[in-house]
Amino acid sequence: MSAVIKDTAQARTLVSLRNLNKHYGDFAAVDNISLDIQDGEFLTFLGSSGSGKSTTLSMLAGFETPSSGEILVGGQSLVNVPPHKRDIGMVFQRYSLFPHLSVRDNIAFPLAIRKRSAAERDKQVDAMLKLVQLEKFAHRRPAQLSGGQQQRVAIARALVYEPRILLMDEPLGALDKKLREDLQDELRQLHRRLGITIVYVTHDQEEAMRLSQRIAIFSHGRIVGLGTGFDLYQNPPNAFVASFLGNSNFLRVQAHGNGAASFEGQPVAMRLTSGVGDGQEVLLMVRPEKALALSREQAVRGALPAGWNEVTAKVGEVLFLGESQTCSVVTAGGTQMTVKALSAAGMSMKPGDEVKVRWAVADACVYTEWQESDLSKAAGAH
Amino acid sequence: MKVAINALQSATGASGTGAQGAAMSLSPTLRQRWRGSRNLLPALLFLGLFFFAPLVGLLLRGVLEPVPGLGNYEQLFANSAYARVLFNTFSVAGLVTLISVLLGFPLAWAITLVPRGWGRWLLNIVLLSMWTSLLARTYSWLVLLQASGVINKALMAVGIIDAPLEMVHNLTGVVIGMSYIMIPFIVLPLQATMQAIDPMVLQAGSICGASPWTNFFKVFLPLCRSGLFSGALMVFVMSLGYYVTPALLGGAQNMMLPEFIVQQVQSFLNWGLASAAAALLIVITLVLFYFYLKLQPESPVGNAR
Amino acid sequence: MLLTPNAMGRRLRFGLYATTGLIALFLLLPIVFIVLLSFGSSQWLVFPPPGWTLKWYGQFFSNAEWMDAALASLKVAVLTTFCAVALGLPTAFALVRGRFPGREMLYGLFTLPMIVPLVIIAVAVYALFLKLGWTGTLFSFVVSHVIVALPFTIISIINSLKLFDQSIEDAAVICGASRLQAVFKVTFPAIRPGMIAGALFAFLVSWDEVVLSVMMASPNLQTLPVKMWTTLRQDLTPVIAVASTLLIGLSVLVMVIAAALRRRNEVSA
Repeated sequence: MSAVIKDTAQARTLVSLRNLNKHYGDFAAVDNISLDIQDGEFLTFLGSSGSGKSTTLSMLAGFETPSSGEILVGGQSLVNVPPHKRDIGMVFQRYSLFPHLSVRDNIAFPLAIRKRSAAERDKQVDAMLKLVQLEKFAHRRPAQLSGGQQQRVAIARALVYEPRILLMDEPLGALDKKLREDLQDELRQLHRRLGITIVYVTHDQEEAMRLSQRIAIFSHGRIVGLGTGFDLYQNPPNAFVASFLGNSNFLRVQAHGNGAASFEGQPVAMRLTSGVGDGQEVLLMVRPEKALALSREQAVRGALPAGWNEVTAKVGEVLFLGESQTCSVVTAGGTQMTVKALSAAGMSMKPGDEVKVRWAVADACVYTEWQESDLSKAAGAH
Repeated sequence: MKVAINALQSATGASGTGAQGAAMSLSPTLRQRWRGSRNLLPALLFLGLFFFAPLVGLLLRGVLEPVPGLGNYEQLFANSAYARVLFNTFSVAGLVTLISVLLGFPLAWAITLVPRGWGRWLLNIVLLSMWTSLLARTYSWLVLLQASGVINKALMAVGIIDAPLEMVHNLTGVVIGMSYIMIPFIVLPLQATMQAIDPMVLQAGSICGASPWTNFFKVFLPLCRSGLFSGALMVFVMSLGYYVTPALLGGAQNMMLPEFIVQQVQSFLNWGLASAAAALLIVITLVLFYFYLKLQPESPVGNAR
Repeated sequence: MLLTPNAMGRRLRFGLYATTGLIALFLLLPIVFIVLLSFGSSQWLVFPPPGWTLKWYGQFFSNAEWMDAALASLKVAVLTTFCAVALGLPTAFALVRGRFPGREMLYGLFTLPMIVPLVIIAVAVYALFLKLGWTGTLFSFVVSHVIVALPFTIISIINSLKLFDQSIEDAAVICGASRLQAVFKVTFPAIRPGMIAGALFAFLVSWDEVVLSVMMASPNLQTLPVKMWTTLRQDLTPVIAVASTLLIGLSVLVMVIAAALRRRNEVSA
């Protein structure tokens, strides 16, 4: 974790958002956001609809004016610069190509605006057509292209004038899954090749993980988590991020001094966490794939290793999902948990069986503060 | 119930394809070919008797009266007074189209921009003006524009003019009154076109570096083109054939084609010449209307397909 | 940008709004002006009027010629509406439901009276009726008005018939209704908005029709627009303003009815 911070701190900050706010009447669409975007990084704004990610992007592009706060690019304020003078590239959700222009003229549009010479224009458009592999379609109208091809045109149009920053607002949302994954790979390679700074907006966490170097998780107009996909998933900074990203088991435990607690009367160990008071209720989060479910015989055979916890529960349902299997269990106190394992490992229990659920102390995150709404999956939206 | 409907649908579907198959392999019987056309008969009969027959009758008179031949047409093009009528008709229609486009464009734009609230009111005003009696509006302009009318008085009070302008019983009055009447016919199609434009396309233009000015001319205007053209063409066609407003606001010297036709029929009983003029007007109208139809399907606003 | 008010730029937006306001005033000017004039006391249509009066309304309602004309207008408009709907309904059904060649062309044929200049239709029909000696009859008024009203009713009914899913009618048939019963009990109520809109259009077209009516009119039968037309050519008496105001009032009424119907449809849909 600390290594990552050091890494990014060495890179140059290109864009700074400082205490950015956007209010519509009483409603705060963006609530006091501060964020540094590094030069050349691929950063994703991840959140459900209405979480403020698109509004923030719009303010970066200049389509929305911040109610207060600063947007700095290379140290200079952008707030009063109109969109057409920002020199930012953008790819829109529904491509937004110019329907009256051919593919070629769409891509050439920004260059024509910038009054580049015809020779230079042709050269750059050709290069772009080659980059997005649309040479054969140069003379078609956008309406004659498939969704994926239109998206490539949109990317070419946004890149042709070599902007420092490329904004992408859910650009793959309208495409089907297979195509989306192909374009995600292309996009990642493109970023690596061009070294451009990309700010990408999506509500698809898998997409965010696949593409980005860093992810900013938005909820109710704030950034509630910022870091690499790995860090955010393995060590979510708070219960909301934990439940938002992937699946999670939450256990309410009673702390007894530091490192010790009880869960439904059974003693459990937990990570050393600062600020945990004696008798305070804290929350443990265990990823389903980090937990193990053992039948009674298995539990007897393999004794509990040091640094692991074990609780007793009853199997509710076992699901076969192809690659993996899940087993949902309920503890005596009524806490629901899910355990996930690769199918190859096998899960022999049946509904109604008593099982022991085990997890390593180091794998369980500890939260001292949370809200009930953070724990439900659907909580991100308004 | 639901099952019954589904069963019926699949049953009719099956029989439908069956019938189609049969129709393809065998030559269709006459009854099959004209299935459902019997309902057309009353209206066809009515229009045939009272619209098409009189129309053909009228057009025939142009080559039969007073003597068979093309004499009426020769007269129409050779006589300079008649040529003047044609010139008036086209120049007034052109001018009216231009003015109503210039005034209709901002209206359509504002209505698209603010579809609720006062944009809705703007649309209502346009609709009100369209549905308000033509005679009432023309009468109103007659009173407004006359030498002792409000507009002349206001202009004189402000000091722009010293003597009243002659704005009525001449082509000025015709152009003002007709432009006024044609504005809704520009606003409605144009507004529909503008509404179909994805606002994000304009944002895209702007982020690509286009200033509002460039964006307007290079993106917005081209995207409005289909609505603009079809509206303008429609207005031009309508203006060519308009009678009431020119007859009331225009003068006796500068006539337009429709007035000329009525005058030939009512005052001179010269049906032959009237018919030739009518044929000319119909041909122009239909040719322009053909272009109008050609314009319709090729709408560049086909982004969200 | 140019279609999103907030991102438009203040100067451009203000300029557009100001221009639009002026044009809207231009559109309203003659309408408001005529209504005000009808209450003004000046015989010579001086504006602003020296005083306000209802005497022109008195003159209008006590004048037999004006009242007869209004009554004739109403009669012609109602008859035209009935005939146009009665002729338009089967035509629309045939054009939407029929499967025969040349439907597109036939559709064009039926809308032709909307495109051919009114003057020409008027002259042609006038020539026919002159020969038959029918000018000046109620019949000639109604027939000529139906010609130009028919495209409006056909188009309105076609538009709502296209939206109606025919399988609902089939469902009524499977429930035991005969085809005719199904059409009357299921399809007609469903396309009623289109029928009413078509009827309103036909009524307004007939009510406001000048050119055809002027041709058909005789001294003993004339509609309100004809009476206005002939009066207008002699002098600009404020009584015409009264007639105009009444015509405007009727248009507003029809618009309000149409809007109310549209709203009810939106709610039920």
